[in-house]
Amino acid sequence: MSENHHDTSESGPAARVKALETLLAEKGLLDPAAVDSVVDTYETKVGPRNGARVVAKAWTDPEYRARLLKDATAAVQELGYAGPEGGHLVAIENSERIHNLVVCTLCSCYPWPVLGLPPVWYKSFAYRSRAVSDPRGVLRDFGTELPNDVEIRVWDSSAEIRYLVIPERPAGTEGMSADELAEIVTRDSMVGVTKIAAPARRGSKKKSATE
Amino acid sequence: MSTAALDQIVKAARLDPDHVFSAPWEARAFAIALKLSDAGVFSWDEFRARLIAEVGASDRVHERDGTSDHGEYYEHFLRALERLLAEKGIVSS
Repeated sequence: MSENHHDTSESGPAARVKALETLLAEKGLLDPAAVDSVVDTYETKVGPRNGARVVAKAWTDPEYRARLLKDATAAVQELGYAGPEGGHLVAIENSERIHNLVVCTLCSCYPWPVLGLPPVWYKSFAYRSRAVSDPRGVLRDFGTELPNDVEIRVWDSSAEIRYLVIPERPAGTEGMSADELAEIVTRDSMVGVTKIAAPARRGSKKKSATE
Repeated sequence: MSTAALDQIVKAARLDPDHVFSAPWEARAFAIALKLSDAGVFSWDEFRARLIAEVGASDRVHERDGTSDHGEYYEHFLRALERLLAEKGIVSS
């Protein structure tokens, strides 16, 4: 995935970014070390594990779940998750009858503090255009088959509101702690393109292919 | 919109599920924009408006031609950043 045909050319994006960075540093508008630090933060520190902990807490703490559904921005802040693109968060809950799917049709709006930066497919034209016109087809592409009587609701994240899906807690997880549950909550399930599979029986723990 | 196109994207996502940048320059372009917005050179809303314009222009071409993208989101991102900095008189256009 690191292949980029334009990378080596002088007018290619890599060269343009380098030129921009040099110019901005010369003008005193940018500290290259600060750029390194942002890259490191978003590549390694901010990510879907935060959202997974939010979901696991909502599953195990009914009062927290109520607060999350009422004011998700405040509820995720309780766990220390805030930052750019973290305001106006709305949590929407899946059930046996309703499946929620999140897209940003205009660009890439996404709740960074709980999910990190959006994956490549989320920003693609194919996903952004088809999530609205053919949500069932998109879900099928992600391997998610839903019965016909399940209603699919598509939510368009924007600068004003960003959505976080609370997936259904799978059967067979009754004895698990919030920490253990957070391990099985996937990023894709919090965008709504997949459901969470029931974990394999204890003793025969198997990692899912998408993890 | 072809299912095959989305299939490919989904497949790429599965191979590397936490994949958010496709090349180091994408991460740097993102970080530069975020730092400049933190420093008040522009607001993130101003930047987002240019990004939406770039993405929208590209979407219209894909719609017209019936084509799909190949993960060029950060090319739109970089162009939006360059245009905004040119508008602010910080870089020459």
